[in-house]
Amino acid sequence: MKRFFRPFINGILRENPILVLMIGLCPALAVSSAAINGIYMGLAATFVLVGSNFIISIIRKFVPNQIRIPIFITIIATFVTIVDMVMHAYAPDMYNILGIFIPLIVVNCIILGRAEAFAYHNSVIDSIGDGIGMGLGFTLILVVLGGIRELLGNGTLFGFQVMPVSFKPVLLMILPPGAFLTIGFLQALQRYRGGKS
Amino acid sequence: MNERFYVSAPPHIKTKYDARYMMRQVTIALIPPTIAGIVIFGFRAFLILIISILSSILWQRLVLLLKGERRVLDGSEVVTGILLALNLSPLVPWWMPIIGTFVAIVLAKELFGGLGFNIFNPALIARAFLLVSWPMEMTTWMFPYIGINQATPLSGITQATPLTLLKLQHTYTPYINLFLGNRGGCIGETSVLALLIGAGYLFFKGVIDWKIPIPYVITVGVLAIVFRQDPLFHMMAGGLILGAFFMATDYTTTPITKLGRIVFGISCGVITILIRLFGGYPEGVSFSILFMNAMTPLLDRWTIPKPFGYKTLGRNA
Amino acid sequence: MMSHFLLLFIGALLVNNILLIRFIALCSFFGVSNSMSTSIGMGMAVTFVMVLASSVSWILWHFILVPLHLEFLQISAFILTIASLVQFVELFLKKNSPTLYRAMGIYLPLITTNCAILAVALLNVLNNFNFIDAIVYAIGVSGGYTLAIVMFAGIRERMSSAPIPKAFQGYPIAFITASLMSLAFLGFKGLFGL
Repeated sequence: MKRFFRPFINGILRENPILVLMIGLCPALAVSSAAINGIYMGLAATFVLVGSNFIISIIRKFVPNQIRIPIFITIIATFVTIVDMVMHAYAPDMYNILGIFIPLIVVNCIILGRAEAFAYHNSVIDSIGDGIGMGLGFTLILVVLGGIRELLGNGTLFGFQVMPVSFKPVLLMILPPGAFLTIGFLQALQRYRGGKS
Repeated sequence: MNERFYVSAPPHIKTKYDARYMMRQVTIALIPPTIAGIVIFGFRAFLILIISILSSILWQRLVLLLKGERRVLDGSEVVTGILLALNLSPLVPWWMPIIGTFVAIVLAKELFGGLGFNIFNPALIARAFLLVSWPMEMTTWMFPYIGINQATPLSGITQATPLTLLKLQHTYTPYINLFLGNRGGCIGETSVLALLIGAGYLFFKGVIDWKIPIPYVITVGVLAIVFRQDPLFHMMAGGLILGAFFMATDYTTTPITKLGRIVFGISCGVITILIRLFGGYPEGVSFSILFMNAMTPLLDRWTIPKPFGYKTLGRNA
Repeated sequence: MMSHFLLLFIGALLVNNILLIRFIALCSFFGVSNSMSTSIGMGMAVTFVMVLASSVSWILWHFILVPLHLEFLQISAFILTIASLVQFVELFLKKNSPTLYRAMGIYLPLITTNCAILAVALLNVLNNFNFIDAIVYAIGVSGGYTLAIVMFAGIRERMSSAPIPKAFQGYPIAFITASLMSLAFLGFKGLFGL
């Protein structure tokens, strides 16, 4: 149990892809204007991550080393296409909000990175676990970011009014500058805590 | 350790032209537009000014406390406080200058290393932050108190600025009202006369030079003619005079080279007219200066004067 | 007609700046803006590849995928096209134009995962652009990319000697700078009704 959880916690805090490793930034900033967007975006990425990790760990023995990257990309693109179509059909509103960032999951460095670094060298079960852990870490940070921005910029959380009515929302927070600002402060916080311990 | 053997870093010989002196001069120059603002908009304007200056000093002290620095306040926070208040409508809620000065002092200045290291003009960042966050509150204007030819009853609120009137109703405000300040607008931007008195003082004292403000204002005038608008109106309306003489002349956030400064002024003029005539916001002075603040390191880099006889080495040399 | 292209260009360059307003290709924005020369090289490389990739993907979409009813292959087809295009450009430059290769060669491999390229290819389809539109749009977007990243590099170079509070040094202050730049770019919102 401990063996399973440690990398999981690690992925969320110490090696958080967004705050520390600085990868997968674009969707994190672009769709985090509300917490609910973060959940959808995160789950879409998690699905692709688990799916591609699964397939790659199955076929890893047969993939020639030289052409592995194009093969990985093709597999990832296939899963992204599935997510794209499913969302288009069953969650059209969310599909419109997330827009171009669904197909852009293809070039999200987290996914190709895990395929190359983990799934290509590990068993099927481990790869699925890795995909879930990494995906949920990504989802969590999207929700936190989205939550902060939604709370300050709109006074709501997951669409429910949280702040008192007299609170005048800081519109800037749900606009582009607010995204950069929130992530900058979260990073500084992370840095400050890390510096202390 | 004997105090007498204390070794300090250069410069060892100091003139009176330090940051404190400069800030005192700017503060003096801001007195005429400040008084004009209070006369025109009354007690409300005075209140906003006081809240803005006090909260500005408070944030600055708090930052120094947190940083553990025993630095003497250099007066720049007072200037920032006044400038922010002059850039607000007299009708903004009382808490807005407090948030505004936090953005200016902490976010735009101290996080970047303090005075002299900030990239953007703190007061303008604060104004833009407030304008983007609370567009309604930031663009609710009041009638000037000293107005004489009001066609509408003196309800005291929701007067439009000359630029909004131009954009929405295509009416020009008379020159005399623009010049004296008998119009809606931010506390410190309405009276061109008072602003020019203050700017004249800064010229006279050698605190600012012509290389940014004059090209800026002239570019706005010339482009207004190009687009078949009234040039004098555009030169006096909105925050142009306030911005050009008091904000675009900030030492830290503008280029140091001569050519760089002129390019800075002209570019500000172009962007201002672009936003005024074709943009979503009625006024573009603050955004144009902020944009050019971001360009400043590049302008400095690309306009370094060449020493006499200096030649660039060819690629095959 | 001219004004149509101008609007498309200004919109892509300033109003919807790909880095500061649309949040695409941020990894490279923060990753390579440490130095001025790298940023300029990256800007050139992105411009070059983006224009090329836009035209190739446009042709692919309109003459192969749509006629054959293979629209569902869009994502896979585009990303593979871009990846092989970048490889091809790299080899071609190495052989035929050593000067150009020296200027942007090392940035080319990075571009495969630069999401701006794929994004513009997809947006061209999404917005129903004709071929000329797509080219103008690609030039505008890559111009906006270059403008923002070079501006950012200039600022970061200047900040390198500033006494920034310890917790904010490095990436945090870079994000806050990007936030303020993005605020300045918001001034262009609604320009020409865009």
